[in-house]
Amino acid sequence: MNQNSRPQTVSTAAIVAAGLRKRYRAEKRFRRLGIGAVILSLGFLLLLFGNILSQGLPAFRQTEIALEIEFTPRLITADPARGNYRALARQALQRAFPKVRKRRAKKELYRLLSNGAAFELRRMVLADPALVGTDRRCWLPADDLVDNFLKNPESGKKRLSPRQLAWLSQLHNQGRLALRFNRFFFTRGDSRDPEMAGILGALCGSIFTLLVTLALSFPLGIASALYLEEFAGRNAFADFLEVNINNLAAVPSIIFGLLGLAVFINLFGLPRSAPLVGGLALSLMTMPTIIIAGRAALKAVPPSIREAALGIGASKVQTVFHHVLPLALPGMLTGTIIGMARALGETAPLLMIGMVAFIVDIPRSLSAPATVLPVQIYLWADSPERAFVAKTSAAIIVLLAFLILMNAGAVVLRKKFERKW
Amino acid sequence: MFLSFISRQPVKNTTAKKPSPGTDPARPATAGEPLLEKSRLSCRHLDVFYGAKQALHDISIDFSGNQVTSLIGPSGCGKSTFLRCLNRMNETIDICRVSGEIKLDGEDINRPEVDVVLLRARVGMVFQKPNPFPKSIRENVAYGPRIHGLARHRDEIDMIVETSLTRAGLWDEVKDRLDEPGTGLSGGQQQRLCIARTIAVSPEVILMDEPCSALDPIATARIEDLIGELKENFTIIIVTHSMQQASRVSQRTAFFHLGHLVEVGSTEAVFTTPRHHLTEEYITGRFG
Repeated sequence: MNQNSRPQTVSTAAIVAAGLRKRYRAEKRFRRLGIGAVILSLGFLLLLFGNILSQGLPAFRQTEIALEIEFTPRLITADPARGNYRALARQALQRAFPKVRKRRAKKELYRLLSNGAAFELRRMVLADPALVGTDRRCWLPADDLVDNFLKNPESGKKRLSPRQLAWLSQLHNQGRLALRFNRFFFTRGDSRDPEMAGILGALCGSIFTLLVTLALSFPLGIASALYLEEFAGRNAFADFLEVNINNLAAVPSIIFGLLGLAVFINLFGLPRSAPLVGGLALSLMTMPTIIIAGRAALKAVPPSIREAALGIGASKVQTVFHHVLPLALPGMLTGTIIGMARALGETAPLLMIGMVAFIVDIPRSLSAPATVLPVQIYLWADSPERAFVAKTSAAIIVLLAFLILMNAGAVVLRKKFERKW
Repeated sequence: MFLSFISRQPVKNTTAKKPSPGTDPARPATAGEPLLEKSRLSCRHLDVFYGAKQALHDISIDFSGNQVTSLIGPSGCGKSTFLRCLNRMNETIDICRVSGEIKLDGEDINRPEVDVVLLRARVGMVFQKPNPFPKSIRENVAYGPRIHGLARHRDEIDMIVETSLTRAGLWDEVKDRLDEPGTGLSGGQQQRLCIARTIAVSPEVILMDEPCSALDPIATARIEDLIGELKENFTIIIVTHSMQQASRVSQRTAFFHLGHLVEVGSTEAVFTTPRHHLTEEYITGRFG
């Protein structure tokens, strides 16, 4: 009954040949399954990107109105920083539509321009004081309702009065109404007015926070990995450390936020909402990842290199720093990229330390109040104004672009350190 | 109570300190002439343990200067382990424990105050698989002299690089591409580069752990010629699997079996008139 009792006339080749088709079928099935999985995930990725891009791209353009501005010295006064630029903008609107006299009509007319128009005029005068006394055409941001009307005429016109629509068509015919590149989005911080809200504040916040994270977690993580892997040896204490580092890598990030709140803010008295504290909290979260990846990279260095160095009398430290570390560095950088990418996308720990506040000013230092890109996305996604929907997607695009840029930089760095031989 | 505690001490000592050869009937004493009157390197009662497993049992042997001694024996007999004791490379293995005495020019190298960096500068090592650093050919050779401070200026280093590569028989092949990676050379060239790297530090003893096992016959022949030339200036101890190689390159041969040093003698004597039956069976190819 067993296999040995088969007749000797059946050769091995015949048995193998009989099973071949089944083997190849299994192979094909597996290949199709793999291709299917790749296509499915690519499809979802494309869907996500398509959705974000289609929603976010309109936010990169902003409706602006061209007005003849008379930079009246009387309104700007002796100190240009305190001038009445709102009046300057209104005066220009009056000049464009001289027939509008009634108070209510005037109010509606003024509402075509964004509140930000005055800030824009102020910025222009401060940048170039010679403007005072001149008369020139300036493109000024329109209100978000006007912007919305230009982008979605059907749904947008319900929110505007017939008079406003008439003025807009008049401006349009004169070539004074256009969708232009949204410079405010990239040069300003957050704002209550969606047309003036920019991403620069959050971007700077993210950069500062990540700088703190990198500056702390990279050297500490690499040093810990080196010590644990090369110098500590195997003992109970090292095992204890290893278990704890692995656990630390799996701790939910909000816990690190609570720790940051309790230790850095309440105990050390560091300022809240600051990139410094955010970076400290995030480096606690990033460090275990870097340590684990660093140790794996060190383990992957062939022992023959260590023996070669030790064999000609290099000390332990020389062996590690001259030979082992350079070979492990690309792998360590990969771990660092993964950790930093995670830190860039992290929101929860930053909520705990107050980086979720509404912050208009662009942070200029590590201790200035700031927010970060993912938190900004969260804040905008929560806002009721329609224009913030597009802003949210635009912010996501900026976040993704930042991520890709960061990763590309890291890949270049890794390529540089990678030995080709 | 107190007396019994004292009386236990000598018992412990005897387990820690191995008796001299010949006292233990289960352990064969080394045949031939393991001990010499004049020697550079001498081992007495060397035991090596990997954890609880004993890898070497009571090895006593002398090595004289300016000659090649080959260590032969079947796989796993402890000859590589023995070799790695001579420059304390076994210290890199956590569970490895060495006891006994190894004297280099009369100084015990296992004493804690002996600096292992200095020892390895005096006792160089060439490994089984060629392991050049992933750096340029020049850097490979210059690394040792540089970390030991043997040469400061670029000219001096270049001199050492040239003489070392010349002595290793590699200079003519690589002199035009010293800045190319050492790992780009062929296997035989890589091994000669590793030898050049070792002799660049001017050690007194060179340990070679099956230096030709990864090489083709032509590359092997070159390395063997090289060993013949190097013995004029260095004490060379070579582990080899090839008995032909042992008979070609060495003046003395030591045969290891299962962690015991079975026989030591002049290569000629060991190969023509072995005194121990295990040696005879091994070199006639009955096992191994």
